Amino acid sequence: MSLTSPTDRPPTATAPTGDVGGPVGAGVRPAGPTRRRQGPLWLMTPGGLLLLVVVVVPFVLALWMSVTDLDQYTLRQWAGAPFLGLGNYVEAVTTGPLLHSVWLSVAFSVLTTVLTLPLGLAAAFAAHDRFRGRALVRSIFLIPYVLPTFVVGTVWRIALGPDGAVNTVLGSVGIAGGNWLIGDRTFWTLVLVDTWAAWPFVYLLCLAGLQSIGREVHEAVAVDGATWWQKTVHIVLPSLRGPLLLAVIIATLHHLNNFTLPFVLFGSPAPDQVNVLPLAIYSASFQTFRFGLAAAMSVASLVLVLIPLLFYLRAVRLDTGLEKGAQA
Amino acid sequence: MTAGMQATDRRRSGVDATAILPPGLRRAVIAVLVLLVLAPCAYILVASLMPDIEVASGAVVPSSVTLENWVAIWTTVPLAQGLGVSLLVCGVVAVLSALLAVATAYVLVRFTFVGRITFLRALVGLQSVPGTLLLLPLFVVYASAPTYLGITVVGTTWGLMITYLTFALPFATWVMVTYLRGMPVELEEAGLLDGLSRIGVLRRIVLPLSAPGLIVAAIFSFLLGWNDVLFASVLTQPRTRTAAVVLQAFGASQEGGALPLYGQVMSSAVVCAAPVVVLYLIFQRYLVGGLTGGLK
Amino acid sequence: MSTRRFLAVAGALTVAVSLAACGGGSSGGGGGDHAGQTLQVYLSKQSQYPDEQQQWMQRIKDEFRKKTGADVEFETYTSASEEQQKIQTSVVSGQGPDIYEIGTTFTPTAYSSGAFLKLGDEQWNAVGGRDRFVPSTLAMSGPDEADQIGVPFSSIPFVLVYNTQMFAAAGIDGPPSTWDELVADAKKLTQGDTYGLAMDYKDPFSPWKYIWMFAQQYGNPLVQGTTARIDDPTVARAYDAYFGFLTKDKIVNPDAVNWASADATANFASGKSAMFTMTSAGVIPTLAKSPVASSYAFAPMPTVPPGESALPAGGVPATTIVSGQNLVVASYSTQQDLALQYVDLVTSEAEQQHFSEVFGVLPVNAAAADAVASGKEQYAPVLEAGKQAKPTPFTGAWSEIQLGLTNITVQALAGLSSGSVPPDQVQRQLTELQQTAQTAVDKAAAAR
Repeated sequence: MSLTSPTDRPPTATAPTGDVGGPVGAGVRPAGPTRRRQGPLWLMTPGGLLLLVVVVVPFVLALWMSVTDLDQYTLRQWAGAPFLGLGNYVEAVTTGPLLHSVWLSVAFSVLTTVLTLPLGLAAAFAAHDRFRGRALVRSIFLIPYVLPTFVVGTVWRIALGPDGAVNTVLGSVGIAGGNWLIGDRTFWTLVLVDTWAAWPFVYLLCLAGLQSIGREVHEAVAVDGATWWQKTVHIVLPSLRGPLLLAVIIATLHHLNNFTLPFVLFGSPAPDQVNVLPLAIYSASFQTFRFGLAAAMSVASLVLVLIPLLFYLRAVRLDTGLEKGAQA
Repeated sequence: MTAGMQATDRRRSGVDATAILPPGLRRAVIAVLVLLVLAPCAYILVASLMPDIEVASGAVVPSSVTLENWVAIWTTVPLAQGLGVSLLVCGVVAVLSALLAVATAYVLVRFTFVGRITFLRALVGLQSVPGTLLLLPLFVVYASAPTYLGITVVGTTWGLMITYLTFALPFATWVMVTYLRGMPVELEEAGLLDGLSRIGVLRRIVLPLSAPGLIVAAIFSFLLGWNDVLFASVLTQPRTRTAAVVLQAFGASQEGGALPLYGQVMSSAVVCAAPVVVLYLIFQRYLVGGLTGGLK
Repeated sequence: MSTRRFLAVAGALTVAVSLAACGGGSSGGGGGDHAGQTLQVYLSKQSQYPDEQQQWMQRIKDEFRKKTGADVEFETYTSASEEQQKIQTSVVSGQGPDIYEIGTTFTPTAYSSGAFLKLGDEQWNAVGGRDRFVPSTLAMSGPDEADQIGVPFSSIPFVLVYNTQMFAAAGIDGPPSTWDELVADAKKLTQGDTYGLAMDYKDPFSPWKYIWMFAQQYGNPLVQGTTARIDDPTVARAYDAYFGFLTKDKIVNPDAVNWASADATANFASGKSAMFTMTSAGVIPTLAKSPVASSYAFAPMPTVPPGESALPAGGVPATTIVSGQNLVVASYSTQQDLALQYVDLVTSEAEQQHFSEVFGVLPVNAAAADAVASGKEQYAPVLEAGKQAKPTPFTGAWSEIQLGLTNITVQALAGLSSGSVPPDQVQRQLTELQQTAQTAVDKAAAAR
């Protein structure tokens, strides 16, 4: 990486200059004229060094492992595990559960994200308004998100058991609950529990985004006599584009990599309906000791996630702070 | 939409122009969501006061209330020690990651250099690297530290700290990048004109001004460490077990043999969740403000 | 950007890191004198007996210090995943505990890693000789007598527990000796919400043991030499009988699709099931506190497989796997002599007897086993089952096969709960597993 390289390059041509503070949800303020070439780049070294040692080096090792036949027989002399080339990748795609798991993971992540959006938005709208007890409500909304995942998983697993609290409650209103933790319904169990735990993240980002709508905008809208619905659709939602995009990306990635929740809820081997990628990788790695294969599965899935992600990032320029669409 | 309703809306929004939802709808939304959140939480609390057999049989209203579970957990599992380790590790991680993040973000936002965009993209990309992929190789790296550097990493609290610190950095930096972008540069320039060095500007001007962003970064970093089971379970020894691992192990140990100690599982879940919930309640105000900066 | 500053920061960081490192613990080196040495032992948590285990650890620490002058540091694990992660990370890094307590079925995998001390005559003598142990418990120490790594530590044979009162009320003399007899008895005992047999279909460990047991009784050891025999009709037949208890014979509570071993135990303990198979003496403390405290007895499980009136030709009267814990010494350990002294201590007659009394498992020490058998009548059938225990295939491929067999049950739970498991679903999975298993067996053979 050239992070600490003293060589400098002119700013990219696309960088807009000057102030672009629109009335609503003003675009991010580009550093333009103040972005210097000579800077204390060494400030980045501690962070960069840590990332190098704790993430980059292990990641490179993982890449190496993914092209070797690393298993229980070779683990002790892992550096000398036989080189397989793309053998693990071929095996993962052709015989393993990889494709099924990728599909499941994507479906699960997208569905959960989609479900958390309206909840988070509604909560943000409601908690944005002034009313007595607002601070308390704002805090309560955060609780599911701050509960540790394994706590959420354990509690729901107990409550969703065949004789658990959920079925007791359903039974009291005349609904036969049935099995939540086996069979076809497991996928929806996972989606619902994760939705319960994750919507406050969307709420938090949206609530923060709402703060940036100036009072004068609200007043102008009030004078125009727009209904709340018109205001929401034409003014509020467009100004939340940035936070919503960020929430969608981060939340989807977190759902994709969520190992703890499905593991605590369903264990391993998990029912096929919830054998999401992290579980499949865990099983290959720590239950059948095919470390090379597991690494290949991880890398393959990472690439699958990164390709659309990077295209997306390029398109919305969310990463560079040069977002164009924000000035509604 | 009738003219009459529009008039009502206008009148109401005259009371609070910034309001988005009509009061009736707002109350309904709040009622539904509060119920959605609190019902399961109330169940956890109630279940922690029930005998195990009642939790297992799905009772929602306890026939008898007992504090036994709350007393017993402290001896059943080394929960107090786990909480101590977790608080120490996550506290240190929270502070350090916020500071490192602001320094990194400052450079990323205010200066230009080769690889800057790549680095920014990598911050998002890094969050998609699955933990299961890094677990074994990371352990290999740590385990070779005694051989090459003569220091022991595995099993120490600081080994855990640098791990969480690093995992927390991408998101923390991201938060700070977005926050700093929203901060006016005029003050910094004034500081430079007054003869402050770049570091002086960072310390005297940027740091105090970005306090809300720092708090957000710190809190998210804290939560990351508090939540982790995967890395803590292989990077710790009995004396350095975190609360998460203790609780996870306790939950798992209830699988075989006798009737599970559901009541104690519930009460220890409350104990493990309490510090984070309290933390959030204290900083709740800053949390929203801190995310505001860049999220325009 | 100044290079000097960069170096200064890097330097400061290094110093900080190394200073912090000094805070970490370290264990002392070897030498003739064991005082000051610390032996690290990794063992399973006795979650039913937390206090007793603490006391036992203290007792062993004291005894060991008296014997060698060295300290013991215990670390416990509570789940198989925790255990295996720990072992793998230790193996890959060549550092970690000196001694591991591992399950018998995990021993083949541990053996195949080559990371544990092989026990020659010298090592066996250091722990009291092979003769010290109940012969059947040695079957999972290694692939053959010349290549062993595991010293037996505890024996946990699987048996049948039955409700004597319910049996008497139904006019049944004693425990069944064939599985068909068991089903017939269970049908008699099933009425209303009381069922003849408790099952733990959702247990992570039990299901594959039934399949292994029935297959053995039908004459299929699952792995024969270097051939996997998963797609053999006997395996499909085993699943058919195992699921049939619920779907065809209707002797099992339909809720059992959601039961792990603990739930099935609880159901038996509440008097709602007349029998519970594939259980162990470990349930005694639970049952002792239950309504059935004075009306239960153990027996070995039947040895004649479902649908047969006598053991088929080539069939093996297997009921329980050689089950329990082995102790293995890490080959990276710098204090292997000390480790063997620890093994010697905890497998001695006195310690084995004490351990058995406290935790309800059976001794592997032959003399201690005799003492326990003569002291407690209740244990006699369990000890008998233990003596007849048959080993699971000792191949590095076993973990994969075991996981695959468990997985078939996991995927069948939905069908089970709706009343029938599609036979073609099981057959398809068996065909897939056969391939995976054969590949794994070939790999194991190549690695030896």
